Amino acid sequence: MFEDLSLRLVGELVVNGVLFGPMYGVAAIGLSLIFGTMRIIFLAQGAMIVLGGYCAYWAFKLLGVDPYVTLVLLTPASLLAGALVYQLLFRRVAALEDKNVSLLIAVGLTFMLESLMSVAWTPDPRSITTGYTATSFVLGGMRISFTRSIGFAIAIAATLVVTLFLRRTLAGKAVRAVSENMVSASLVGIAPHRVNMIAFAVGIALAGVAGCTLAATYTIDPYFGFLLSLKALIALALGGLGNVGGALAGGVLLGMVESTSAYFLPGWSDAVAYTVFLLVLMFRPQGLFVRSLRKV
Amino acid sequence: MPRRSLYAAAALLVLVFALVPFVPGAPDSYLFFYLFLVFVHIVISQGWNLVAGYTGQISLAQHAFFGIGGYTTAVVSTTLLADGSYYFNPWTLLASGVVAALFAALIGVPLLSKLAGDYFALGTLGFGEIVRVALVKGGSVTGGSFGISISSEPFDTLRPHYWVGLLLAVLATAAVYAISRSRLGLALMAIREDPLAAAASGVDVLLFKVLAFAAGGFMAGIAGGLYAFYVFAVSPGGFLNLNWTLYPILMCVMGGNGTVLGPVLGAFVMTAVFSAANVWLPTAHPIFSGALIILVMLFMPNGILKAQDTRQGVR
Repeated sequence: MFEDLSLRLVGELVVNGVLFGPMYGVAAIGLSLIFGTMRIIFLAQGAMIVLGGYCAYWAFKLLGVDPYVTLVLLTPASLLAGALVYQLLFRRVAALEDKNVSLLIAVGLTFMLESLMSVAWTPDPRSITTGYTATSFVLGGMRISFTRSIGFAIAIAATLVVTLFLRRTLAGKAVRAVSENMVSASLVGIAPHRVNMIAFAVGIALAGVAGCTLAATYTIDPYFGFLLSLKALIALALGGLGNVGGALAGGVLLGMVESTSAYFLPGWSDAVAYTVFLLVLMFRPQGLFVRSLRKV
Repeated sequence: MPRRSLYAAAALLVLVFALVPFVPGAPDSYLFFYLFLVFVHIVISQGWNLVAGYTGQISLAQHAFFGIGGYTTAVVSTTLLADGSYYFNPWTLLASGVVAALFAALIGVPLLSKLAGDYFALGTLGFGEIVRVALVKGGSVTGGSFGISISSEPFDTLRPHYWVGLLLAVLATAAVYAISRSRLGLALMAIREDPLAAAASGVDVLLFKVLAFAAGGFMAGIAGGLYAFYVFAVSPGGFLNLNWTLYPILMCVMGGNGTVLGPVLGAFVMTAVFSAANVWLPTAHPIFSGALIILVMLFMPNGILKAQDTRQGVR
């Protein structure tokens, strides 16, 4: 009896983590693309995700559009927004040696977005309640939330799309080349600004995807974004920078660490996650899922 | 300007600031509070300046040390000195700095020996989050998410805060000045320019990095202690706020990172901007501040003082 119970408990903890983790993973992939090409940590990623979430919320609230329909429209829109953010804010400073500058611009953007959202839409937490929000199904004796499963599927799909983009298209190959070596890439005729812009656009598009799924599953408020950025960074560190599949796996691992520690050490789960993060940074900075040792 | 007259001008300026509280009505004005805030910002910014500007290690944990300092002051004041004799106890302030510096050394050894660049920045950010959780879950010692209140009974005027703040700001700036002209400063700058070359020239890279990191933590901790005496309550939301890391960075970068007077100038300008925005646009203030950060970074990424200083060959 006890064995059965604990087994189910472990199962539920794992499933919860596995279902929520990919959200971090998608945010982490966006960060990874931007870091890969520009060598900056785009701290505003979380605020961008929350902005995407608000778009889905208002589309649902005012126009009655289902969040997953919004997703289809929001993805191209955020692709454009990403390109615009790069052109307006980061193009001038992309080549500077001092990375503080771009980091601070991202910080300024976070401040602006957070307070714009909080002034325009009040700091009250919001959530989307559709006909299927409370739906869940039973699998192997465990209740699994419907919206979480959809979120999981979307995250996997987004990862696949990005992987295909990076492997199969010329633009994607250019992004990989710049991540590998900026100087050599420009020597063979790759325009750095264009590649940076593409990486930014894809990164923000992923934020839009994550935002829609988040709003359909969880409650959002204007200040939730910073925490999301940090979680995405942890997922990224776990998976290894510049490794798309690894970022997703890192997200899943982070989700599992969180759900497990939230059960066993209530309230401490964030501290546990950051401790794992610090240990990984110190002892395996190349990430947990990289076999070959690449110098970072 | 020759060095002698520069010293004289600085001394005169400090004297003028020290006499401000005697102007009738001054201690009740908003300007007085603004100057106090500037001093707190100078102390914490000089700490970051030492770590990032001189040693080249981008730390994102200044708010953690600020918070540790504030909490140390609050805990000491409410437990050891609960009989009311605590008001502006200099030992409490010193203890805040020392405890923060100890934490900095403790976390600095593993982080600085293993991580560099962005990874170090991320690691310090992670440390700050761990401190936040530890303070929220600290039970009766830290007062959970509400924090600790200190008795505000002895408070009469902001004057002592002002003078202590001025003294600390002057000491912090003088310390950075002294360090920048000493062998220690030379070692720090060598590490910033090229850690490998510094190590090859006999600089104990880890030791000096940790020293700078601990000194930066010390300054942030003392600033936290002073600020705790001003607000009479410490809480994770107010003291572990990331603004206490971001504002100093902004002030250093804007004024000129890695210069002695850059953070001072940055603190005066940025605090004025934030205070003005706070008065006239209370709800929209962070929008304005965020936009300002972006504009400054886009059009003045090297700060006001940097260009001049490099031309003179003094940093």
